[in-house]
Amino acid sequence: MASTGDRLKTLIADNLEIDGQAIDVPEDLDISLLDAGVSSVDLVAFAKLVARDFNIKFTLEHCTSLNSVKEVAEFIDSQPG
Amino acid sequence: MPASVADGWWRPFRRVGGAAIVYVDLAPEPVREAAALTWLDEEEQSRRQRFRHEGARRRFALCRAALRAILCSQLGCPNQQLAFGASHHGKPYALVNGQPAPVGFNVSHGSDHGLIAFAAEGRLGVDVEERSPGRDFDGLIDSVMGPDERAELALARGSHRLHLFYHLWTVKEALMKALGTGLSPDVSGFEIPVAMRRGTKTSIFRFPHIPAVRWWLEDLGNEHFAAAIAHELSPDSH
Repeated sequence: MASTGDRLKTLIADNLEIDGQAIDVPEDLDISLLDAGVSSVDLVAFAKLVARDFNIKFTLEHCTSLNSVKEVAEFIDSQPG
Repeated sequence: MPASVADGWWRPFRRVGGAAIVYVDLAPEPVREAAALTWLDEEEQSRRQRFRHEGARRRFALCRAALRAILCSQLGCPNQQLAFGASHHGKPYALVNGQPAPVGFNVSHGSDHGLIAFAAEGRLGVDVEERSPGRDFDGLIDSVMGPDERAELALARGSHRLHLFYHLWTVKEALMKALGTGLSPDVSGFEIPVAMRRGTKTSIFRFPHIPAVRWWLEDLGNEHFAAAIAHELSPDSH
């Protein structure tokens, strides 16, 4: 089964872009989507996708308070179930 | 570096009460980008390098350089004396020789459009977004809009729906940025005043959880982008 980080990378690759280009997420996941230039509207949509894909409560507030994709992965892995 | 505003990539955009708003042109322009780099300090140069996308690097450099140039002009200080701190929630503020500067600001950029708002008093937030017509708004509306806002968006069609969504979103985000707590609390937990939802350009707003504080809202959008400002009113203003 794919790791949380790999699933997040796939979600990002399939759903987010900047200036029409895919977002290059590094292996260590140390990238902030907001700093990378993802718009706040796209972040809302991404938070909904994460909540649905991982079947957890994951809001825009989670998305903006977690500083990197790595922290998002750690948050997801810390959720029960 | 540009010798004057006339040589720069920014220009005065609007005055809203005690706030001045500057438009920053973020379109690709190598000469401007080279000039912008000369304004950035070492830390900002490193931060810029860490952006993995050229567009993000360009927007950061052009916006930060414009911010520095304007603050230096307003505060009468050389660029080398200007630095930036950040609040617990990441909201930046200016420092001159290590001391907080007597001016607040807020920066936003969407696609190739940037806005910077400045004010001597009161918290302020600004947001600009390029309207993206191909987006599926249904899920977003459920996440970020209140019940009356959702009802109005459900009745809107075509470009009116597109404009209404981005109008409401930019006002909400400007308010959250002005509050300075990131995007908490839940943005669907408050609604933009009904008159503003229906076309009025300005309004006064109070958050349900802090009703004593009033905020001046103004729609700054035009045919190119949606945008809004929220500025905290002083308690004795009418």
